[in-house]
Amino acid sequence: MLSRKIIDELTAVLGKENVLTEKEELACYSFDATADMPQSMPDVFVTPTCTEEVQKVVEIASKNKVPVYTRGSGTNLSGGTIPLKNGIVMGMVKMNKILEIDAENLNAVVQPGVIIQDLNDAVAKHGLIYPPDPGTVKTATMGGSVAECSGGLRGLKYGVTKDYVMGLEVVLANGKVMRCGGKTVKNVTAYDMVKLFVGSEGTLGIITEIIVKLIPAPETRKSFLASFKSLDDAANSITGIIASKVIPATLEIMDNATIKTVENYAHVGLPTDAEAILLIEVDGLPEVVAKEAQAVEKVCKENNGQLKVAETDEERDNLWTARRAALPALAQVSPTTVLEDATVPRSEIPKMLKALQEIAGKYDLKIGTFGHAGDGNLHPTILTDERNKEEMERVHKAVDEIFDAALKLGGTLSGEHGIGMAKMKYLENEFKEAGVEALRSIKKALDPENILNPGKIIDLEG
Amino acid sequence: MELELNTVQQIIEIVGEDNVLTNLEERICYSYDGTFQRGIPELVVFPANTQEVAEIVKLANKEKFPVFPRGAGTGLSGGSIPMSSGVALVLTRMNKIKEINSEDMLAVLEPGVITGHFNQEVEKLGLYYPPDPASLKTCTMGGNIAENAGGPRAFKYGVTKDYVLGLEVVTPQGEIMHTGGRTVKNVTGYDLTRLLTGSEGTLGIITEITVRLLPKPKEIRTALVIFDKLEDAASSVTAIIRNGVIPATLELMDQIAIKCVENFNHLGLPLDAEAVLLIEVDGGKNQVEEDIISIEEICQNHHCRKIHIASLAEEREKLWKARRAVSSAIVQLKPTKISEDATVPRSKIPEMVKRLREIASKYNLHIPVFGHAGDGNLHPNILADKNNKEEMERVQKAVDEIFHAALELRGTLSGEHGIGIMKKPYLQWELGEVGIEYLRAIKRAVDPNNILNPGKVF
Ligand SMILES: Cc1cc2nc3c(=O)[nH]c(=O)nc-3n(C[C@H](O)[C@H](O)[C@H](O)COP(=O)(O)OP(=O)(O)OC[C@H]3O[C@@H](n4cnc5c(N)ncnc54)[C@H](O)[C@@H]3O)c2cc1C
Ligand SMILES: Cc1cc2nc3c(=O)[nH]c(=O)nc-3n(C[C@H](O)[C@H](O)[C@H](O)COP(=O)(O)OP(=O)(O)OC[C@H]3O[C@@H](n4cnc5c(N)ncnc54)[C@H](O)[C@@H]3O)c2cc1C
Repeated sequence: MLSRKIIDELTAVLGKENVLTEKEELACYSFDATADMPQSMPDVFVTPTCTEEVQKVVEIASKNKVPVYTRGSGTNLSGGTIPLKNGIVMGMVKMNKILEIDAENLNAVVQPGVIIQDLNDAVAKHGLIYPPDPGTVKTATMGGSVAECSGGLRGLKYGVTKDYVMGLEVVLANGKVMRCGGKTVKNVTAYDMVKLFVGSEGTLGIITEIIVKLIPAPETRKSFLASFKSLDDAANSITGIIASKVIPATLEIMDNATIKTVENYAHVGLPTDAEAILLIEVDGLPEVVAKEAQAVEKVCKENNGQLKVAETDEERDNLWTARRAALPALAQVSPTTVLEDATVPRSEIPKMLKALQEIAGKYDLKIGTFGHAGDGNLHPTILTDERNKEEMERVHKAVDEIFDAALKLGGTLSGEHGIGMAKMKYLENEFKEAGVEALRSIKKALDPENILNPGKIIDLEG
Repeated sequence: MELELNTVQQIIEIVGEDNVLTNLEERICYSYDGTFQRGIPELVVFPANTQEVAEIVKLANKEKFPVFPRGAGTGLSGGSIPMSSGVALVLTRMNKIKEINSEDMLAVLEPGVITGHFNQEVEKLGLYYPPDPASLKTCTMGGNIAENAGGPRAFKYGVTKDYVLGLEVVTPQGEIMHTGGRTVKNVTGYDLTRLLTGSEGTLGIITEITVRLLPKPKEIRTALVIFDKLEDAASSVTAIIRNGVIPATLELMDQIAIKCVENFNHLGLPLDAEAVLLIEVDGGKNQVEEDIISIEEICQNHHCRKIHIASLAEEREKLWKARRAVSSAIVQLKPTKISEDATVPRSKIPEMVKRLREIASKYNLHIPVFGHAGDGNLHPNILADKNNKEEMERVQKAVDEIFHAALELRGTLSGEHGIGIMKKPYLQWELGEVGIEYLRAIKRAVDPNNILNPGKVF
């Protein structure tokens, strides 16, 4: 428990309305969107409204050696916001202003609490887009998505959050404010601290302002649904499309288990007898789109795919509703959904899909797989029940094997959801000792008291 | 500090006698780079593989001698200069392309591979590695990663950082570490790959590189546009981008640069023109045609004098000749070239160009301006004679003012050449004490003995 004195200090800085201490209120911040994680109560929940207030909170925390857990909307999938060691949870949602849209230089300056979709709505007026679009665009914050380096459906062609962050203002563990990067497209002034912060999951500093790159909105787009009788055919189509030198904006896969569940949930007319479907969208200038669409059709047909083109906006929206429904639909089937994020080189997708089927069979588990096939980022989702101890043991074994398989295929533990608490114990499998030691020494150097999001990413004791 | 004989012997045991230079005359060849900085290493060492690099770095930690990684030595910020001691570790023997994979669109290579050679090899397979520093015929991929090099195509395609997927690195303590990997997405742990990219040899020695490739663009069109007024050229740049055209390349040369090039190469450029833009668009056939029409229109609306357009490779090469010759041509004016790299947000280009001219006339200096206008990355080059003390003092003041101007316009000290030794004194202007302390904390944490490239960056 925090002493009354610390609470008073926080209240003096932030005002009563920005300091919550009631148990019922605090309970809301004891968990996030991640399944199968321990819950842990914060001692206090604070909502600063400006950088100076964030600074003061960190100073108080640092002086008293109290942990600070920064939180956006809590939608992350790796236990990143759980206040494992209690202390302060700092909600960033009140810092939610779009400070500048600089259409001429194609960038925008935002506070961390801005919701991703709100930024997109604001820049749409200028014919621009901010491409990173995690499934949670309507709820997740810019700060959270920068801290996680979120991906999304358009990652294949447009890249991930990291590719769009140009500059940051950060409050460091010692309470000082640092600016890095800026408004230029090129910047090699000293180490790339911007990229170091992107994806650092709140463990190195608190992001208080973000400069992001924007791009012109594509003129036209075309969406397809391709269904396949075999997983191999679907997988071959993925590599075939890329090999034909077409990079679609989106190239998503769903396996049969996912298709059936989504159809059951959303009734959008998906072919429930297909082993796999691909959802594909190409965008750009009309001629380019026409050409790329032809190439996509050709490859899918050569691989025995059945193609349906979205002719109207409504049909297109239906397709993407189906894709976005994948996780919520799977989540309805069973009380607990354990969602993984292992990512493999694109050409290894067929092997990864096979490995997932085998793992499901071996441990007698239901695993629905969907995800961003184009960039090798699959989301195998295990449908289970936390209360069933025996089954959870099998789940944990299966997860171990999923990571093993991904790393053996030259992949990584996490493509976009981050390490958080959920994947910490696997970190050394990928980074080996030298890598973990490097991460650890950076964390220790920049947060010597270990007050920022302690217990995440790396075990400091090691 | 002097290397002990015994240490030299141990290094020879690691890499073999043939791969160590001890003669002064030979060592002098490794005392400089593309700047006017000098520093003679005590020993020049050419390791053959990662293991040897690791052993040398381990030894360096034991015996406490500095190690200065070096590629081709074309750097423009003094990054590879040995500070008159220790070992210059030259990575040019590690020059194998290990894999070019069309399916996953990536390549794996050693750091000593020459960038231009690598570009050619991937293009043979219909693939494309966009970063193209003007020094590509000589510079190494390891040096490119360490500097996060850019190039003319960076405007559309980004810089080296945007293509690095994974690295094998020998850490400052001599451990072998792998970062990133073969996937486009990877958020496992901190992004050490990006931290190392652009770290100028101070945080690790890069021994293997995995880069992402793109499909090679189908069509290319090049336009050389001549302007009477520099301001018109500068505002054409912003207008083109505002119109949603994203050329692959958008390069600017001012009148002094034009004159030098013309003197040097006789390409028929008009000597009274104040500026030339070299613009290249690529993509599908229809797209490049549409783009080039818009560009023509915009430049005409901005009072250009003449436009040459080329689509065939040889003709395009002719238009490029002028731009490629600039760096070598301008040294005719004066023997010492101080090449700056200050970068501003794109819309500030006209303003920056104006300020550069004012600075040149205020200090009575030749400052040809050319560079990657599309991404705000100009290269004002100050030409002087380093033996002329009084002139060098004026140069110093001009450099100060250039950086001031860039930062005032919300730009940065360096767009692509790095900090090295040359820009070290200015770092605080951009990052402040807090920022520099942060950098130091990182460096100290991973290189407690300060072995790798000491004296650089900050
Ligand atoms: C249904 C569903 C679909 C999803 N789809 C995708 C997807 O397609 N792609 C994808 O990548 N992710 C996806 N996610 C994961 C999640 O939405 C993203 O990680 C999101 O960006 C997190 O944003 P948030 O505001 O909720 O952050 P939070 O969950 O609140 O925080 C995430 C992390 O960031 C840190 N943090 C938050 N704000 C700051 C700050 N200002 N400064 C420093 N650190 C901070 C926190 O400490 C924590 O470690 C999905 C999640 C769900 C539930
Ligand atoms: C005529 C000319 C034109 C140029 N044009 C451009 C341009 O358009 N764009 C641009 O960005 N640059 C340009 N440059 C600058 C220069 O070519 C680049 O910085 C290039 O990346 C340096 O490569 P290098 O192999 O010569 O490296 P070096 O100069 O040998 O080294 C550069 C830095 O990298 C470090 N280093 C080298 N290899 C390694 C390694 N394997 N591991 C760790 N550290 C290493 C060194 O310690 C040093 O700090 C130009 C230079 C010249 C002379």
